[in-house]
Parts: sequence; C-alpha cells; structure tokens
Amino acid sequence: MIKVTIRDLPPLARLPILLLGMFSLIAGVMAGLARLGWSVPDPANAAAGVHGALMISAFFGTVISLERAVAVARRWAYLAPALAAASGIALLGGWLPLAQTLAIGASIVMTVSCAVVLHRLIAPFTLVLTIATTCWLVGNLVWLHSGLIAPAAPWWLAFLVLTIAGERLELSRFIPTPPAARYAFYLIVAGIIGGATISLWHADGLRLYAGGLLALALWLLRFDIAWRNARLAALPRFIAICLLGGYVWLAFAGVLGFAGALENGHPWRDSALHALGIGFVFAMVFGHAPIIFPAVARVRIPYHPAFYIPLLLLHLSLLIRVAGSLGGSFSLLKHGALLNSLALLSFIISMLISVARGKKTRTAPP
Amino acid sequence: MSTCETPASEVIDNDHLTTIRSRLRRVVDPEVGVNIIDLGLVYRIELSPGQLLIEMTMTSPACPMGDMIIDDAYAELEGYLPEACEPKIVLVWSPPWDPSMMSPKSRENMGW
Repeated sequence: MIKVTIRDLPPLARLPILLLGMFSLIAGVMAGLARLGWSVPDPANAAAGVHGALMISAFFGTVISLERAVAVARRWAYLAPALAAASGIALLGGWLPLAQTLAIGASIVMTVSCAVVLHRLIAPFTLVLTIATTCWLVGNLVWLHSGLIAPAAPWWLAFLVLTIAGERLELSRFIPTPPAARYAFYLIVAGIIGGATISLWHADGLRLYAGGLLALALWLLRFDIAWRNARLAALPRFIAICLLGGYVWLAFAGVLGFAGALENGHPWRDSALHALGIGFVFAMVFGHAPIIFPAVARVRIPYHPAFYIPLLLLHLSLLIRVAGSLGGSFSLLKHGALLNSLALLSFIISMLISVARGKKTRTAPP
Repeated sequence: MSTCETPASEVIDNDHLTTIRSRLRRVVDPEVGVNIIDLGLVYRIELSPGQLLIEMTMTSPACPMGDMIIDDAYAELEGYLPEACEPKIVLVWSPPWDPSMMSPKSRENMGW
C-alpha cells in the first residue's frame, strides 16, 4: 500500500513532469550532437546554441528539483520541476526570454524548498544543498542578463557539483571524519563559489573554480563512504563504483580547468565540461537512478549486474571523446560524443527493462 | 505495558516488539546497505489498544526516499499484526539523526 501525504503530489501526477524533463534530456543530447556536425531533427538543430541550458537548467533542473519536491512533500514544491521542464520546451520552441523566465521561476521555487529543508534541519550539508540551488538561480540570472550560456555555465555546473557534494557530505557522517577535513570541505565550497563569482569579471576565476573541483574530488576520494560500500554487494557496491569513477573524472576536469580548459574557446573545453557533466554527474545519475527513480515514481527497480554495461559504455565513450579532444582529432571527438549519447540511451533502456522486471517480481505469486 | 488488543482478545504485547524490530531489520537503506534499526532511524515503537505506532526519521530532510522506506516497513509488518491492530508509521525530524544513534555493531563496522 502506498501512503502519500495529502499535501504531497501523488506519484502518478509526478510522471508527466519527469517525462517532460526527459524530453529536455533527449533534445539537449541531440542539440549537443548538432554542435559537432551530426545530423539531427530540425528543432534540435536549431537548439544547438542552447545545449548547455537544455542539459543543465532544463533537464537536471527538472530532475533535481523533482527529487527535492518529493523530499519536502508539498504540492507547491512541484512547481519547480514543472517550470524547469517548461523552460526546456520553451527553449526548443526558440522562445529564449520565456525559457529564461521559467528557469528563474523554477530555481526560486526550489530555493523555497531548500528553506523547508533548512527549517527541518540546519546542518552543513543542508546549507551546501541550499548554496547549490542558489547557484542555479544565479546562473539563470546571469543567463538572462548576458543572454549567453558561457558566463552562466560555471554557476550551473556548481549547482550540479555542490548538490552532489552536499549529498555526499551528508552520507560521510556515517563514518568518522577528522574535524580538519570538515573545515577543508567548507573551504573547497568557498573556492568554487569564489571562483564562479570572479569568473564573471575575470577568466582567472575559472582556475580557482577548477582548483576547487580538483580539491573536492580529492576530498571525496579520501572521505566518502564509497570505498566502504564498494566492498559490499549488489546495489550499494554498484552505486559506490559509479561514484568512485565519477570522482576520477571530476579530478580530471579540475586538472584541465586549472590549465585553463574551462575558458571559452579553449581547445580542451569540450573535455573539461564533459568530464564534469558526463563523467562525474551522469555516473552519479547512473548509480542513483535505481533508488531515486523508485522514490519519485514509486516503481521497483531491482538491481541487476547488467547495470554495469551502460556504466562501462559511458566511461569508454568519454575516454574516446577526451582522447579526440586532447589529441586534436575532431573525428574521434565527434564519434566519442555519439557513443556518449548511445551510452545514455542504453542506460534509459536498462532502467525501463528493470521497471518491467520490478513489476513482474511484484505481481509474481509467492 | 501498552498492548494492541484484537476483539478476539489476541494480545500483542511487548514480547512481540522483538519480532517487530527484527521485521523492520529487513528494511534496508539502499545507499548504505544497512537496515533502519541498526542505522538508528526508528525512534519509537509503541503499542496501544488497536494501534502500533512507529516513529522514525531519515538521515537527511532532503532525502526523497522517506515514503518509500516507510512503505517497505509497512510491507514487512503486513501479515504479522492482527487485522485489528493498525500499524501507523510517522516520519519525524526531531531530534535530528546523529551517527551516535547507530547500533554499536554498525558503528564498529563504520569505523567508529
């Protein structure tokens, strides 16, 4: 029996929002492929310039704020993912000011959700989650003000990185962490925010930002519970392996960024951004979808060792892409990017198959 | 001692608490791979006439898995309690969860 708080939105009503968010993902991936010269349907082709906005503000904005709305269990909180998903549709329709306004609205609503979380508990990790959401809002405002994706990108990426970091900080409480490490974590967050702020006026801010990313990766590799969980079995182990691989990509993005790769027009920019967005963030998504998707949609996703196949594809395709980018081979980069999108597709298919398996095991006679 | 009494005078008393706790031990936090009892998430199990009240928390108020974990707990209790004994599981945020609430064995496993 599923019990839902009256003030909360029923799981079935959450699905259209999630599906709209997936629409932004598909459009965003196609827009990214269009940037590299792949032939895609016209609307995605026209959206090539807003690939980053579709992927981060529209898609991740939808799924992260949806996850937060489920956590706070208030109907109004679902306005955040609904507005973020609508901003994706507006982007695809070519209505930029509308898309920007919707994205700003979404991030404001999610900031209020963060206030509900803070009301329940003021702790370092809930503060980091609130800072992360504020970064999304700042990124959207920068996007509106400048009309450009590039100056908003560090803020949008900070939204993703700090959301993950906040959640990992929370889970690191299970194991003893030295007080000095806690302070180091706060310094790292300050470095990332400081770097993003300076980058609004001076490109060197991006090096401080990248230094923060590298330090965060090293912190997570040292203090996260993933090492412990990697020794467990089944799903906890799979999640841990997703995380540890992601931390390596985060460190790599930090190193490249420190060398200047996050600056607009830098030849390694594709590598730095996608090591971060695909290697770190999507690896995290692959690991957590089997627990977060059931929490949002209230379906079962039983663990299966085949979950490792999309993960392996993700890492291999990203290696190809990065090799192409750093080695100066556009063809390799272009094919690596196509394989990236196939890795995401294989992940979506594996999740859908798992949902069907979950239904079967539930309805099977005992 | 509180009881959860059925019309047929079948009584669930505190002896059953051990069984209830062991049933709740089957509900595992999928992220950490540890059950909700050993994580210290279950704050109160109280039996009263016609009702079993369980108060529990999540380690994070930003965690979306609360309702799902509660459903899992209901599922584990199903079939064990008499029909007239309605289980009620409530999510509470006070006091906030703290690592000291984990069972001694879990704390040891986590390196405390």
